[in-house]
Amino acid sequence: MAHAVPRRRSEAGRARGVQRGAFVAAFLLPATALYVLFVMWPVAQAFIFSLYRWRGVSMERTFTGLGNFAQLVADPVFLRALSHNLALLFFGGAVILCVAIAVSHAIHTEGRAARALRAVYLFPQVISMVVVAVLWSFVYNPSFGVLNGTLRAAGLGHWALDWLGSSRTALPAVGVVFVWHALGFHIMLLSAGLRTIPVEVTEAAVLDGAAGLQRLRSVTLPMLWPVLRVSMVYLVIGSLNTFALVYLMTVGGPDRSTEVMLTYLYEHGFKHSEFGYATALAVANFGIVMLLSGAVMAAMRRDPTEGSPA
Amino acid sequence: MRLRWHGVARRAGAAVVTVLLSVFALTVILPLVWMVLTSFKSSHEIFASPWGLPPAPRWDNYVQAWREAGIAQCFGNSVIVTLATLAALLPIGAMAAYVFARYPFRGARWLFGAFLGGMTFPLFLTIVPLFLLLADLGLSDSLGGLTLVYVAYSLPFTVFVLTGFFRTLPADLLEAAMMDGCGHAAAFWRVMLPLVKPGLVVVGIFNAIGLWNEYPLALVLLSSDEVRTLPLGVANLMMVEHYQSDWGALFAGLVIVMAPVLGLYWAFRDRIHDTMVAGALKG
Repeated sequence: MAHAVPRRRSEAGRARGVQRGAFVAAFLLPATALYVLFVMWPVAQAFIFSLYRWRGVSMERTFTGLGNFAQLVADPVFLRALSHNLALLFFGGAVILCVAIAVSHAIHTEGRAARALRAVYLFPQVISMVVVAVLWSFVYNPSFGVLNGTLRAAGLGHWALDWLGSSRTALPAVGVVFVWHALGFHIMLLSAGLRTIPVEVTEAAVLDGAAGLQRLRSVTLPMLWPVLRVSMVYLVIGSLNTFALVYLMTVGGPDRSTEVMLTYLYEHGFKHSEFGYATALAVANFGIVMLLSGAVMAAMRRDPTEGSPA
Repeated sequence: MRLRWHGVARRAGAAVVTVLLSVFALTVILPLVWMVLTSFKSSHEIFASPWGLPPAPRWDNYVQAWREAGIAQCFGNSVIVTLATLAALLPIGAMAAYVFARYPFRGARWLFGAFLGGMTFPLFLTIVPLFLLLADLGLSDSLGGLTLVYVAYSLPFTVFVLTGFFRTLPADLLEAAMMDGCGHAAAFWRVMLPLVKPGLVVVGIFNAIGLWNEYPLALVLLSSDEVRTLPLGVANLMMVEHYQSDWGALFAGLVIVMAPVLGLYWAFRDRIHDTMVAGALKG
């Protein structure tokens, strides 16, 4: 019996291999089919559509090569929208990073405060962006908004403005909400990064007399570098892909003063049915996100404090 | 003497930090508190004093939002879409994740990479082709079509997290199950899947929150009143109330969207936190 087994194994083994292969295919099929049909195929189509001039629901479309992109680069509204995305990234991002570093640093050594605060700072992340946008458009409401109400109560009535209704204040006002919404996520990331710093390193620094800000500079920031990099990439993605916030608070107005790339895309794609131009906008948006995140990754490849002669 | 002074300074420093952290926590919570307060006020009270407590809570606002403003139907639609998506997503995602974790095959890495790549594509890259695709398939403006799209777009994260869970299971478990005469599929359904229940729970809750809140896809793919999900319903209510000025009902609607999610989050906050970190740092 024992001798007979190896001889028959090849055939049985092949049968088992076929069985295994069939199992693998069957188990992957539903996920792969849905994913290819609704994600991969539209991604591929996006790149193709962006090369066509295609207006209206008619199937009539003409190939224009990079014509849409040429039009995009010369489109003052698109450039303006892009500049608003970049403003969100640079100003909003700077505030987010500074506050997130400060908060995660402050709660790092205090277990109790960290746990209490952690439950709270993710609130804006888990509630719907729609709730965030609608809620804040009423915080800014000129007649009964809580912001103007508070200003009036504090005797600063002349500061009470139509925040979202004036093209001077609308973008900063939206930016504040952008920061309010994203902060928790970045505090979470940086806190997780801080927890990976070995206790001995922190303790050694404390023994060396590094306290507070000094510890932040000499230990925390260098050790945090890889997570900071990730955080920056998420800032790029978040600020360049803003949609619901702007769309629901201002629809890009007044006078396009808060227009961002994706609200402009929505207008072309779903208000005017200019599918080619809208898709070209989406491809450009994707390209800019990839370019900027690539630049961030490259620029932050090395920790500046490491390997410096000092 | 010096040491004691040092201690005082440090305690003062700690006090300053605590105060600043509390201020930060307040900036997060106060807008939400204001929203809940406002949802219990009449429009007149809202205008009279934005920060005042309502003299008597007006539950009427909730009745108004639920019955008159159509929030009840939106709530029902959101429940259907969320549950239907999870019912399809979890088994389909778990099957794929199990194969990726346990059955190395040629091209597995490539396919897994393609799945994870989905987490980096911005949704708006595909939104126009997707809109046209659903129209071609006759699935536009239907909860069924939206559900299929939701399953597809939730797969990358789901497969990613569940693959991690399946990889932690001991290898001899599968062998033992197969020795007992289970086929590959039976071993999965009877032995392996029950063992990753914690993973299914955390992925399910995480997806449920995201699906409940989802706005852009629903905005583009749905157009009739009867199929509106809750985020669409509340956004629409905001437009409508600009003419009717029943602000209390609108705020009640906001609370109705937010409450279930905050409740779920609160119950599972630690696990949700850990999953978010794992997902965010995957790169």
